[in-house]
Amino acid sequence: MLLRRLSLYLVTAWVAITVNFLLPRMMPGNPVQQLIGKLTGQVTVQQVRAIELAFGIGLHQNLWDQYIGYWHQLLVGNLGVSITLSTPVSSVLQSAVPWTIGLIGVSTILSFLVGTVTGTLLGWFRGSRLDSLIPVATFFQAVPYFFLGTVVLLVFGSNLHWFPVLGAYSQSVTPGWHWDFVFSLVRYGELPVITIVLSSVAGWMLGMRNMMITMIAEDFVLMAVAKGLPRRKVIMHAARNAVLPSVANLSLAIGLVVSGALLVELVFNYPGVGDLLLQAVLNEDYPLIQGIFLVITMTVLAANLLADVFYFVLDPRTRTEAAV
Amino acid sequence: MSERPTTSEATTLEDDTVLAIEDFCVDYGWGDAAVRAVNHVNLSVRRSRVLGVAGESGSGKSTLVYAATRLLRPPGVISGGHVSLTFDDPTSSDAKRRTVDLLAATPSELRAIRWSQVSIVLQSALNALNPVLRIGHEFDEVLSTHRPGMKKAQRRERAAELLSLVGLNADRLARFPHELSGGQRQRVMIALALALDPQLVIMDEPTTALDVVTQREIVNELAQLRARFGFSMIFITHDLSLLVELADDIAVMYAGNVVEWAPANDLYGAPRHPYTLGLLNSSPPLSGERRELVGIAGSPPDLSQPIAGCSFHDRCPFAFEKCSSQAPELRVLDDSGRKVACWLHDSPADVPVALRRRPRDATRVGAQTPSNAEGVV
Ligand SMILES: Nc1ncnc2c1ncn2[C@@H]1O[C@H](COP(=O)(O)OP(=O)(O)OP(=O)(O)O)[C@@H](O)[C@H]1O
Ligand SMILES: [Mg+2]
Repeated sequence: MLLRRLSLYLVTAWVAITVNFLLPRMMPGNPVQQLIGKLTGQVTVQQVRAIELAFGIGLHQNLWDQYIGYWHQLLVGNLGVSITLSTPVSSVLQSAVPWTIGLIGVSTILSFLVGTVTGTLLGWFRGSRLDSLIPVATFFQAVPYFFLGTVVLLVFGSNLHWFPVLGAYSQSVTPGWHWDFVFSLVRYGELPVITIVLSSVAGWMLGMRNMMITMIAEDFVLMAVAKGLPRRKVIMHAARNAVLPSVANLSLAIGLVVSGALLVELVFNYPGVGDLLLQAVLNEDYPLIQGIFLVITMTVLAANLLADVFYFVLDPRTRTEAAV
Repeated sequence: MSERPTTSEATTLEDDTVLAIEDFCVDYGWGDAAVRAVNHVNLSVRRSRVLGVAGESGSGKSTLVYAATRLLRPPGVISGGHVSLTFDDPTSSDAKRRTVDLLAATPSELRAIRWSQVSIVLQSALNALNPVLRIGHEFDEVLSTHRPGMKKAQRRERAAELLSLVGLNADRLARFPHELSGGQRQRVMIALALALDPQLVIMDEPTTALDVVTQREIVNELAQLRARFGFSMIFITHDLSLLVELADDIAVMYAGNVVEWAPANDLYGAPRHPYTLGLLNSSPPLSGERRELVGIAGSPPDLSQPIAGCSFHDRCPFAFEKCSSQAPELRVLDDSGRKVACWLHDSPADVPVALRRRPRDATRVGAQTPSNAEGVV
């Protein structure tokens, strides 16, 4: 199963890269002239060159050779040069991507854990007062990320000053692997993470709750009771199986969280890809847009693969299927 | 509640009773919507004996044992009766026998009794074993929960020993349930059920999902294990012929009622209730002889509707007026102590031949019962 998924992801990656290559070359008219016109006069030679490279103009090569060349550049990590920043796209991304991956990673894992644990309890103790959590969580899920982020920022950040806001860490500490910085990082990350978790937790919670209710009817849960196991262990028997669909959905959810997280980054002025992408789009900085697109695609694919491996580890039945 | 015997009396009066079920009623649903699935049942399981419970699907066999062991899930409700379990108390120093009122037991009392005194094997071992856990984990878990003193290595050794009892190799411990065959899985369940030397093992159609050969093998193994370890057993099945070798007593259930109770051989050789006769005719005979299998015409009654008279009357080939108006009670029939709930036996002269046979002409029953052939489907 894992191998099949892996090849699927490889094909997806290839399609994404190829589309990324073709898209600018398909643009009608002469985008280069338009862009150069936009840059209001101060066009350097490098900028023109960067634009031409991105659109495959003036290379005097056929499409196939360009494609091969594109792959070559890609494999050595060369994503072209940003038009507006005049720096290589790869180095621009290098400073932004870790923030986004960190933010999304932490939020997704946290949301998954919180949702799964509460969903387990909601399912087991269904009909109890815990059920009142459900409408609350659904409400937060219904509110758009952007809106929730703004409200949270204004109320808890700007007005109540419970959390520091804007940026990823305090300007008064120097980045590095020391305690002050990590602490500042966590403090500044709290609100964006809370926003993303609030918006996405309901899905995990309800999914887990419903699966738990299904599992409770299973014979092996009855057997766990019949064995005189303490309640905690009985719940674990059910939860261990109920979590499988959630893990299977993890891959799907990651893609959704990414789009939301980019918006949240904008709200909180987080130095991740979200802000970068907005700037790039506004300035029509095609090489940068392409680079961001590629990185997001690859990250989501990698995360999917991780989620699949996780599932594979959790469900022994998939392992024998693979062997057959 | 007031008139039931106190604990000590019960112990002295019926010293060899392990499980006593008295006037037990179980419903599904509440109030007007309640469906009576077990109706005033009295049964007892004696020490080191096997009680067979037979009956068609839906007759309330599973409900009876789940409710009696407090494993019934909503919407099942215990609506009356008493259930008590008597066992050698492992916690008391002089190994005295102790009786516990199962219906009044607290969750922690129940947890202590479960599996260590009463274990259960379900029809489908595939569903009864947690699909994501290794077989070894199931053993380790019950042992570590109930025998906290045991070391990890001892638990493993015990698990291997238990598997060898049912003819499985210890390497199965590292397997997942889906990697075993149906028969192996059911053997694992049986081994697991014996892990803590329980007083009582409940088998709810443990062999129904298996092929006939495996079914036989497992029943034989069970008989040997029971003889060796001396636990009591409730064995639930559709198939009366399976019970003859295994059971000491057989209770036949129909629509939530016990309609006949008798020592296994008496019941098999000389049924007294028309429903028992029908069941015998519809199950393959023990010995090799071939005969036509005859199903019981009609189907079990809809329990949600009130039943006037005997619940079996509309399917009974011998029914007469009284049967459709008054419900018969389970009454002692003769000196052997066997009980039957049937009006036919009120006037011994009118009892149909098929229900009058003497226990001795046994084991051939099926071949000579043309009497209810009218209902053949
Ligand atoms: N969850 C439930 N809700 C409502 N009615 C139920 C429920 N479970 C069982 N019943 C009813 O209770 C009656 C007895 O069911 P039970 O499962 O005890 O029968 P059984 O004799 O064990 O049958 P089988 O041989 O098929 O296992 C049936 O008529 C069934 O319709
Ligand atoms: Mg049943």
